[in-house]
Amino acid sequence: MILPPFEYVECTSIEEVIDALGDGDSDRDARIVAGGTVVVPMMKHDLLRPDVLVSLERVAGLEGVEQSNGEITIGALARHREVSRSESVREAAPMLAQACGLVASPVIRSMGSLGGNLCYGESASDPSPVLLALNARLHVSGPNGTRTVPIEDFFVGFYETAVGPEEVLTHVEIPRQPRESRWTYRKWTPRAREDKPLIGLAATIRPDGAARLAVGGINPTPVLLGSASVRASDSDLSEREVNDIADAAAAEVDPFEDLQGSEEYRREMVRVWVGRVLRALREVEVDR
Amino acid sequence: MNRTIDLTVNGRHENVEIHDNWTLLDVLRSGLTMLGTEEGCGEGSCGSCTVLVDGRLVRSCLFLGVRASGRDVLTVEGLSKDGELDALQNAFVDEGGIQCGFCTPGFLMTTKVLLEENPSPTEEEIREFLSGNFCRCGGYTLILKAVQAAALAKAGP
Repeated sequence: MILPPFEYVECTSIEEVIDALGDGDSDRDARIVAGGTVVVPMMKHDLLRPDVLVSLERVAGLEGVEQSNGEITIGALARHREVSRSESVREAAPMLAQACGLVASPVIRSMGSLGGNLCYGESASDPSPVLLALNARLHVSGPNGTRTVPIEDFFVGFYETAVGPEEVLTHVEIPRQPRESRWTYRKWTPRAREDKPLIGLAATIRPDGAARLAVGGINPTPVLLGSASVRASDSDLSEREVNDIADAAAAEVDPFEDLQGSEEYRREMVRVWVGRVLRALREVEVDR
Repeated sequence: MNRTIDLTVNGRHENVEIHDNWTLLDVLRSGLTMLGTEEGCGEGSCGSCTVLVDGRLVRSCLFLGVRASGRDVLTVEGLSKDGELDALQNAFVDEGGIQCGFCTPGFLMTTKVLLEENPSPTEEEIREFLSGNFCRCGGYTLILKAVQAAALAKAGP
């Protein structure tokens, strides 16, 4: 398959990236490329036809993971493989390491970046529901400076994010999680393990019983499940509470349909997996 | 042709004229006429175009050619030395881990990195690491055996 022609601009700083993106109003469509695992196949299938590709590859300061007081900052260019193997992430946000280690297959994980995954705006993303459950903040730079977007405001529509055409996502910040929180990410792929999740469910329960559940692959965007993100009466939910929360979550979602599953099937998978995740979290030994 | 890139392929310095819209796969096959790296799906799913860039596994069909400028690329042609297959290639031959052979270059490059990182992988670890490489002959059982044999050969008697 041959790529359509485009101009390739390699930048070394965020300022150059913003310059190369232009004002977003001209007829000249400029797109950011990082690992290339999304933009390149979309261009081959003629789903995108940018005039300019702006490469982040040699921009300084966009890679790597930093930890300070339990708070984690991940550069947008950090690869899924790097995030999944990072000691800092494994310690402070193990659920994110787990989810990044389940994206596609190992070679794609070593090419594709976390920032690219988020900016694609795919509902069936592994890290996106995890970052929703962890209450992440996203740093976005543009011609008017830098702004911070709470992850709940980031996914605005089907394959649409809050990042404007003249902006670039630079960092993902994960706030310190309370000690003794319990967490898990579960991915269900009916066909093959390297597929996108039909449902990807992330859950955290804090020591005070406050739960935060988020789901990908169900609604047109990854979403927090408000009805399931409740304060349990105590950290050990009863079977009845689990079933009630699972029913409420299934009623809350607004699933899309595709070849992998109907709306009804996706809704039922929400009921099943919310129940499984909450039951699994009851069994989790808190290790510190 | 709209630019010239310098890169190293299998230890040899190359100077190639390319188009910006070429992928690394195009650079190898069209620019250098190195036909060992195969194009399967062309969209990163099947793994037959897998090569190493600066020691990292990449799908050459998704890796823009301009990005290879100044990099060190290893393809399947770089595995043999002085006309002799390397131990990994021999393990695939001996165990019958090859049917039509189209996917073999990608499996070899991926397995090379697997065994460098994890010299004695479990069966589950092999299956996981190779999960992005498709063999449409369905020869997975013998490919698995070949990888296990290569790991044993590497570990020595």
